[in-house]
Amino acid sequence: MDLNKSISQATQEIFQTMLMMEANPGQALTERDNGFVDSVSAIVGMAGTSKGMLAIHIPESTALVITSSFLMMEVSEVDEDVKDAIGELANMVAGSIKADLTEQGQDFKLSIPSVVCGAEYEIDCLADSDGVIMPFSIDGGEFLVEFHLQK
Amino acid sequence: MGKKVLIIDDSNTMRKIVTRSLRQAGLDFEAILEAGDGQAALDVLAGETVDIILSDINMPVMDGIEFLRQKQADPKIKDIPVVMITTEAGADILDEAKSLGAAGSIKKPFTPDQIQETLGSLL
Repeated sequence: MDLNKSISQATQEIFQTMLMMEANPGQALTERDNGFVDSVSAIVGMAGTSKGMLAIHIPESTALVITSSFLMMEVSEVDEDVKDAIGELANMVAGSIKADLTEQGQDFKLSIPSVVCGAEYEIDCLADSDGVIMPFSIDGGEFLVEFHLQK
Repeated sequence: MGKKVLIIDDSNTMRKIVTRSLRQAGLDFEAILEAGDGQAALDVLAGETVDIILSDINMPVMDGIEFLRQKQADPKIKDIPVVMITTEAGADILDEAKSLGAAGSIKKPFTPDQIQETLGSLL
């Protein structure tokens, strides 16, 4: 299964369908940075035949653009609505990737999304895992979608 | 008299999107009620009569599958049609929902047309 393609298609479909926005994928990153600044991150755990995690990392300014579009109202600060919207975004991407993995014979349950935000924080990924980190650009900013599956 | 719908989803964002999509789909409800999980939905249904329920599956406190199970066991609400709106598109979980009385399912992300198509025949 081509994880880059799966992540790109899922993310693009969600942005087109639910946000009426184009999310343009960039080149997959080869190195991961644990640290995030002035950002919002949403993580969905996947547990079953193997373990995985899907995370979306979004600079605060881009998170405000996405949430405003989701809610069709101006959102000017990172509040519960922003955390909820970014969590739901991660939930939908994880659901689409889960569907692709299920077709490959893997069986997962998804966790409820966890969301962290702040001026400076770190998020580790699963140890001993294969991962894909895809950057996306939208009209209003950029963000990362990463997926890791334990070996 | 107008119809009433109950939307069950732990995401406030998703409840707002579903509400907007119902209007965009031209489905005119007298009242749109909301609940954040299955238990909260049962609490709403103890005091309100609704014509249709739209429910997420993956929720804290009480998920959509357990909600269906509890609803089926209550003769006062068992006949209200439930459409699952979920990221959980796996055949196994949707089969389980169907066996517990779910009338249909819509996969997130969805369009207002998909909402109209699924709900139109149930109202």
